[in-house]
Amino acid sequence: MASIEARGLSKRYGARNALDGLTFATDPGEVVGLLGPNGAGKTTTIRLLTTILEPTAGTFTVAGIPGDRPTEIRRRIGVLPESAGYPPRQTGAEYLRYAARLYSRRDARDVADRLLTDVGLGDRAGSRISSYSRGMKQRLGIARALINDPAVVFLDEPTLGLDPAGQREILATIGEIAVRRNATVVLSTHTLTEVEQVCGSVLILDHGKLRTAGPIGEVVGAGSLSDAFLRLTEEADHD
Amino acid sequence: MTRVIAGQECRDLWIGGRGPVLVFGFSVLLSAMTYLAATNRAMNFLEQREAVNLTVQVALAVGVLLTVVVSADAISGERERGTFEALLLTPVPRRAIIVGKLIAATTMWLACVVVTIPYLWVLGRGVAGVGPAVLLALTVGTLVATGLGGIGLLFSAGANSNKTSLAGGLLLLLVLFAPTQLPALPKTGVGEVITRINPIGSALHYVSQILVSQRNWTHDLSYLASPVLIALLVTGVVIVAGPRLVRLTAGLK
Repeated sequence: MASIEARGLSKRYGARNALDGLTFATDPGEVVGLLGPNGAGKTTTIRLLTTILEPTAGTFTVAGIPGDRPTEIRRRIGVLPESAGYPPRQTGAEYLRYAARLYSRRDARDVADRLLTDVGLGDRAGSRISSYSRGMKQRLGIARALINDPAVVFLDEPTLGLDPAGQREILATIGEIAVRRNATVVLSTHTLTEVEQVCGSVLILDHGKLRTAGPIGEVVGAGSLSDAFLRLTEEADHD
Repeated sequence: MTRVIAGQECRDLWIGGRGPVLVFGFSVLLSAMTYLAATNRAMNFLEQREAVNLTVQVALAVGVLLTVVVSADAISGERERGTFEALLLTPVPRRAIIVGKLIAATTMWLACVVVTIPYLWVLGRGVAGVGPAVLLALTVGTLVATGLGGIGLLFSAGANSNKTSLAGGLLLLLVLFAPTQLPALPKTGVGEVITRINPIGSALHYVSQILVSQRNWTHDLSYLASPVLIALLVTGVVIVAGPRLVRLTAGLK
């Protein structure tokens, strides 16, 4: 069974088509790169699949649950939103314990401590989030996305604004999520090298339309992902 | 789940948040007023019951103002700080989110009541009006604070900018407070209607009738109609329509 299945998924804002007829499917345990230039529809796709927005047309399932049952979907997914904010006065442990309680987890304290250790923040669990670096906040956001042992994890630009060391740490964490938890990871990013490092397949969007989807090897062919990306998105500009 | 949301919102408000600072400012204001009432030659001519009534009225006015300030920030503020999306991504019902936030905002009013008690005791020593004054502040004030705090929350849900929701809440309070400063209003026909439909005006009138004119609690009970109505109506709207308003971006679906 596909972990994510979208059929003709569309979202309009007035006259503007943010997403137009997106159709694709992913398998459990797969890391999928969601690529596209600014305004391509990446964040809209994630917000539709995570039930934050309602589609104008089309249907989808996430973890086998149809899109018209948003509360059930939200129980099975983990999300690191784009430009996520964090309450500066809470400590990392308090932040995760609260998140765990929102999922009615009785073991909120234990799961918070375990996840903080998993993302390398165990020694800063008691520090206020305002004292965290950007990379630490992103790792905290990933820990929060895993608080409910999700079947599908959506990460929207998780390495944005991080230095190379921070990017490497986040990518390593993403790889572990798929391997250790057998969760599908949807990674939205502008950085093509990240996709080549951790993703098995890729979706390339442009102007709200799906340009290509499939295993990276098939999409790239004989060239590089960068060449394929530019070719596909420039073709769209000429259409 | 409402309890979890309300609990966390209260922690955010009262532990390291704005709550203690706002209540400290409120207590400074009451201290200054109490000092003047006790020592100023013009003000200390006030009969003790009038001084108690004045304190309750100031507490109600400022306490409701602070409640609206907190509630108007509750959703639009989270949108601005980027923390709202993470909350919406949880399986928590939207209704629990908005009701939890309203409960937390109302604790600001309850804190103001607690802070007011010692001032009422100092000003009302020797007269029997302190107990009723506290009870009046708690009951009537809670109705007004819940109603207007709820409106502040609805403004917050309907605005993307914190400044917009705060400005809307403060403008509403200004419109409701202004008529209470016109002394002739309750005595004229139109003025009385305006007083009765204004939840703040009617609440202040009801309180003064009991504390100063020493009327029975049931004598002017009809003046409580608009505070009760606004509290029930707004709470109903928050519960019924709230889930549709609790969205990532105001106005977009």
